[in-house]
Amino acid sequence: MRAVKIIERILYTIPIMLGVAVIVFVFIRMTPGDPVDIMMGQGGAISAGEIEQLQSEFHLDEPITTQLWYFLRDALRGDLGYSYIKKRPVTELIGDRLPATIELAGGALLFALLVAFPIGIISAVRQNSLLDRLSMSFAFLGISMPAFWLGIVLILIFAVGLGWLPVQGRLGSDITLQHITGFYVMDSVLTRNWPALQSALAHLILPSVTLGAAVAAIVARVLRSSMLEVLRSDFVQLARAKGAPEWLVVVKHALRNALIPTVTVVGLQVGVLLGGNMIVETVFSWPGLGRTVVEAIFNRDFPLIQGAVMVYAFTFVAANLVVDVMYTYLNPKITL
Amino acid sequence: MHSRRWGKGIAFLVLLFALTIIVGCGGEPEVETVIEQVEVTRIVEGEEVTVVETRVVEVEREVEVQVEVTATPEPGRTSLVVALAEAPTSLDPADHRSRTSETVIRNMFDGLVTRDTRSGVHLELAEEMNWVDDTTLEVKLREGVTFHNGEDMTADDVVFTFERIINENAIEYPEPHTSPRKGLIAPLESVEKVDDYTVRLNFNSVWPPAMQLLVHQQIVPKDYIEEVGTEGFINNPVGTGPFQFVQGQLDDQIVMERFDDYWGGAPDLEPVGPAGVERVVFQVIPESSTRAAALLAGEVDIIQSVPNELVDTLDQTPGVDVQSAPGTQPIWIQLNVTDPLFSDPAVRQAMNYAIDKDLLIEAVYGGRAVPLPGPLSPFNNFVNEDLEPYPYDPEMALELLGEAGWTDSDGDGILDQDGQSFAFTIDTIEVWRPQAEALATMYRELGIDAGVRFWEYSVLRDQLLNCERQAFLDDWGDSAFDPVGHFEAKWHTYVEGEPYGRGNFSCYSNERVDELTRAGETESDTATRQEIYDEAQQIVYDEAPAVFLVLPEVAEANRETVQNWEPASDSRINLHDVTMAE
Repeated sequence: MRAVKIIERILYTIPIMLGVAVIVFVFIRMTPGDPVDIMMGQGGAISAGEIEQLQSEFHLDEPITTQLWYFLRDALRGDLGYSYIKKRPVTELIGDRLPATIELAGGALLFALLVAFPIGIISAVRQNSLLDRLSMSFAFLGISMPAFWLGIVLILIFAVGLGWLPVQGRLGSDITLQHITGFYVMDSVLTRNWPALQSALAHLILPSVTLGAAVAAIVARVLRSSMLEVLRSDFVQLARAKGAPEWLVVVKHALRNALIPTVTVVGLQVGVLLGGNMIVETVFSWPGLGRTVVEAIFNRDFPLIQGAVMVYAFTFVAANLVVDVMYTYLNPKITL
Repeated sequence: MHSRRWGKGIAFLVLLFALTIIVGCGGEPEVETVIEQVEVTRIVEGEEVTVVETRVVEVEREVEVQVEVTATPEPGRTSLVVALAEAPTSLDPADHRSRTSETVIRNMFDGLVTRDTRSGVHLELAEEMNWVDDTTLEVKLREGVTFHNGEDMTADDVVFTFERIINENAIEYPEPHTSPRKGLIAPLESVEKVDDYTVRLNFNSVWPPAMQLLVHQQIVPKDYIEEVGTEGFINNPVGTGPFQFVQGQLDDQIVMERFDDYWGGAPDLEPVGPAGVERVVFQVIPESSTRAAALLAGEVDIIQSVPNELVDTLDQTPGVDVQSAPGTQPIWIQLNVTDPLFSDPAVRQAMNYAIDKDLLIEAVYGGRAVPLPGPLSPFNNFVNEDLEPYPYDPEMALELLGEAGWTDSDGDGILDQDGQSFAFTIDTIEVWRPQAEALATMYRELGIDAGVRFWEYSVLRDQLLNCERQAFLDDWGDSAFDPVGHFEAKWHTYVEGEPYGRGNFSCYSNERVDELTRAGETESDTATRQEIYDEAQQIVYDEAPAVFLVLPEVAEANRETVQNWEPASDSRINLHDVTMAE
């Protein structure tokens, strides 16, 4: 039954993605700025007709409805066109950059959960203690700190000042790594390249902390408040009354029920981690999709923007779906 | 391209602030010129906008004298690492229109000719070049040059290279398209092989800047590209240059190794022979504060484009050198000559006299810029030597404005005429914030109510060409050191869909200037060309469709272990000559 529902939900994503595709297509073309002119840069050295020729090469001289038709027709065949500037297929460019973005999001999520769970649980159990107040002020700080600022401060302290961690990039410049999946941590394990693994992990730490800080703060606060609510509920009192040890009450009875709102938040934050990392990728020179899309927007590289935004949209849709499915496991009363 | 400049400002401030904390302060109080910012709400064109006004003031403050951060190299690193400010777009010499791509490509490929910042154009793969007639250039190729795959470089490769650039749809991947570099060599009609080491380039008209522009085309291997296709070629490029490709992703790192069989490079330019370092890595670091941090942490050896705000900090760091070269991107305020406010040339001249370029250079550029003598860079090969930069002369400015009817009749400190104040807005992009604010302050001191507004360039461009803005502050590149490609874009009347006037944001149109601009494009005699451009520059200078400001220098930084390297005006990073000290 659940499987049928899941398939049904997956089918719903098709009209959503189609809608996103059309909206994005129209909106980016309504933005002022001419890709051909930007591409030509400042030189006057352009042959007559070159501008027209480029416009027709990119179909920019045709009505937007025709352009949209070409796009949808090709997209159905899995062809998202090619980047005006980089002259490579969009699918290939995204495929190259996406692993870096996912790896960073994974690192950030891991950091966020490792920090948020202990803080959220302990703050709730020891409500109003010094520890609670302290960790909640840290959480507040985590939400308020702009990633840009935090990133640069972390670089200055841990990379420039102390020299413990690298400043930028995904791998040291002396390290050679055979690319298999594009996930450097995985690739170095697969090829048993331990220096590369060490370098890849070291390069992941600062950007993960920067990107994950805000998520850690949000998750910790949500977990704390839902734990507080659950800890006051009757069944927890009952468990205590039955003489169950406190840690068991907290972990088994309270935490599991407090997880439902937390999972929702984490799910949505995964979308943010994958789609909201432009600044972190720029500060740490992380060659992921976020940086590529910012560049593409400034260059009005329409096909590349379109492809990247569709990936982002898909990520959000997929994250929501996963969250919904997880609910049914956490609370069997909920159905899809 | 303005895309790379986003978000810089905050980064500098943060970095400066943090460095100050880390390195600590101390020392004698010193008088310094600083720019102070005040936010005010004012009415611009009927709309209420918040503008930040800037005042240039002298203050006493403590200056940092001791910087304790030392750039220590990463232990055991053997590669020379160069931090690029933006990602190259392609490694195919025929398939990009980006300076950064060329910067990387020129370390793997050679051209028929090359250029050195100090001494100009030199023969590279060409051993001899002669004009057979006005439009035919015969090139005798150097023998014994091999590509990285071991094949000899011959006339076939040169013919193939140029045909791939000029023929329509000659590049087949990812879909057939014409080389975006065709425009850089537009008058080239055909290329023919005379014998194995001689080719003829046939132009369809006289083309004076041929040598300067041939620098930007690099020779590719015919057999290899025919065998592996463009896709194979960009994944594993092969050239004749001092370094050969190892691996890399354009957005991340590009790794190259010394090519031991290198033919040596332009004989005029020492040193000749294989490159001095074994392995080089180009690392893309778009954020300038991160680039600086990577240099300080010893992760990279050379960084591109050091922002003005960080020049002093880096320069004072032991183990780091900041070097600069004359830039190729003059900046100016383009005044819309169709706007009633700026339709009178005398008013526009007054706008030039009102600006203290020396103060601007000191306060904003830390001395690393030169004043512009007129519409062309002072380093352009055809600059009019008789033109002097408009001097800072506020009295002259007021006099000219007075003659045009602008006086402070109500005593509010702002010039007015028929009850209207002299007020205008400088539109610009974020990257010019310090300059724009300093300039607005200077105008305010004179009694002109100047505001500043920031935009994204691509949004603004159409409005500029439609003459909808009043004044626009920006730069415009001139990397060929020749007026062709620059003068016609900037000062020729705008012609839609053509190169003429595509950067003419003054809406300036002068028949004589147009005529001279077109004449200069096809005149082969250097002396006559000089006369043509002298006259054109004189007219533009006198009519002043712009406030001619400054030519900023290109500042780059390197660790002191990097030897025999210097920045180049055209952003070339020549790693062939570099050696590393222990």
